[in-house]
Amino acid sequence: MKRGIPLSAGLLIWIILLSVLLSGCSGKEEPGAQPASAAPAAAGDVTLVIGAYSVAKDAVGEILPQFQQYWKDKTGQKVSFQESYEASGTQARAIAGGFEADVTILSLEGDVDKLVKAGLVDKNWKDAPYQGMVTRSIVVLGTRKGNPLGIHQFQDLARPGVKVLYPNPKTSGGAQWDINAIYGAGLKQSEREQGKKDPAAAKAFLEAVHQNIESLDKSGRASMAAFEYGVGDVIVTYENELLARMAKGAQYDLVVPDDTILIENPAAVVDSYVDKHGTRKVAEAFLDYLRTPEAQEIFAKHGFRPVEEQAMNAHRSEYPDPPGLFDIQYLGGWSEVRSSLYSKRGIWYQILAGI
Amino acid sequence: MNSTLLRHKGWTWGFRTTVLLYFLILIVLPIAGVYVNSLSDGWTAFVQNIGDPIAWKAVLLTLKLALTATIINALVGTMAAWVLVRYEFPGKSLLNSIVDLPFALPTAVGGLMILVLLGPNSIVGKAAASVGLDLVFHQPAIIVAMVFVTFPFVIRAIQPLLEELDRSAEEASYTLGASRTRTFFHVILPAMVPGILSGAMLAFSRALAEFGAVVLVAGNIPGRTLTASVYIFGEVESDNEAGAAAVSILLLTLSFIILWLINLVQTRRMSR
Repeated sequence: MKRGIPLSAGLLIWIILLSVLLSGCSGKEEPGAQPASAAPAAAGDVTLVIGAYSVAKDAVGEILPQFQQYWKDKTGQKVSFQESYEASGTQARAIAGGFEADVTILSLEGDVDKLVKAGLVDKNWKDAPYQGMVTRSIVVLGTRKGNPLGIHQFQDLARPGVKVLYPNPKTSGGAQWDINAIYGAGLKQSEREQGKKDPAAAKAFLEAVHQNIESLDKSGRASMAAFEYGVGDVIVTYENELLARMAKGAQYDLVVPDDTILIENPAAVVDSYVDKHGTRKVAEAFLDYLRTPEAQEIFAKHGFRPVEEQAMNAHRSEYPDPPGLFDIQYLGGWSEVRSSLYSKRGIWYQILAGI
Repeated sequence: MNSTLLRHKGWTWGFRTTVLLYFLILIVLPIAGVYVNSLSDGWTAFVQNIGDPIAWKAVLLTLKLALTATIINALVGTMAAWVLVRYEFPGKSLLNSIVDLPFALPTAVGGLMILVLLGPNSIVGKAAASVGLDLVFHQPAIIVAMVFVTFPFVIRAIQPLLEELDRSAEEASYTLGASRTRTFFHVILPAMVPGILSGAMLAFSRALAEFGAVVLVAGNIPGRTLTASVYIFGEVESDNEAGAAAVSILLLTLSFIILWLINLVQTRRMSR
């Protein structure tokens, strides 16, 4: 083409090269920065790195300053925090991949198991009080104000013309709770009708609900956002997520189905990293603190069901147990659910692929 | 700096080496890595990953939607380029600069805007819903997202051709008694065709890969609204890297063929 072009092209290449060099330098600094600040700082002070799942953000953010005060009163040591909030599965993968969190709060047991498998968390982490759990919730249905379609049970989601939203458990581990709830409600129904659990009937039920799916979002948050933009009639989500939205002024109806699943969210000390950072004492104290009535009260304020009895009793009237409430054991426990529902060619895959 | 300095042997050698290294490290290695990674489990695993109904349905859907978006862009883009070159009107240069904005905007923001403007609570969304048409979270929204992110390609490919077009050829056509339509189809359009083709092919391969905007406005339901890029994301998230790499290879190979075709079209144009 014209003469000027090679000159400007050459210039462009130099500019690109220069920027690559520059970003190369700053890129080198980044990974170094993390362990540096995560390691014990000046004598007496301590930094606790917290890797949590995104939904816990508001509640944990409120608990941290209280724990700071508590720890200062108890030991005179000043503890500061580094917080990271990601979708539960992403967070677990980040920690397994080298994000050196001291304490992790995740949405489901399976994600802590990933850390156990990576050799970072002790395999006996469930020996802690409440089997290692810090909060509970249940799976509920959110409808438009006034519940115009008269949705009361999971069975109503399979009615023709009802547009349903839930996230994809393939991209969001937390969404497994939602699918477990629908599948379990199908099992419950088959148990009532036939006297025994019938996995085939439960699969057919999940399939019928899936026919009405309007959007299969990548995370619970994305699903909620879509619902907020006016998409769909019903969202299948956690009670705490919906309560938090409604507390911020969203005009929805919260419907508690008779048959639904009890959600339990774990927290654990990441043994390898606390030993590396020398933060085991404060990390374990923090985990214990999460289960104190004070911290549990904060969780309750943000829509979670406390695991601790005293705090739970105080909120009993807000968090009634639905008559058909079941837990993960009803579905055979996590390892059974992982292999039957979410394995490579499991029930969930068959429903998605339409086979 | 002048071009004689740049023609010095040392400079040429230095440029060539840096460019080749740059190309190798930043482009060839990662792409080769995808191929190697995907085929590391052997061909049968690869075929199995591609043969997954969710995977091939996602690829087919992506091809279909990207093709639709490309046709829309080829038509509208040609008209837009024509207007931008041939007509004088106030605000033309401003409009001309706006054309490139979809490149500058994070595509997720584009997706968000589509969600807000076409969503069920918007005027357009309500009007569409009243005639029983779903926009957002269905295929139309995906096409809109693809059109949005690939909008500049066709325009920018045609503009220089139109500007370079020899006016005398056009005038000669009129003088020889050809009508406006005849002149357009026999003189002007042939000059624009290479631009339309290469712009459209670039737009197509970009639309195939679009993720940020699509993931927000699509329902991501396998077989209905799950595109290939979102499928890949899902497979990475659920620790099935081989499945993700297999579909990536399919997209990569397609894009490679397309880019090679563009190159053919352009060299043909140059040699004429």
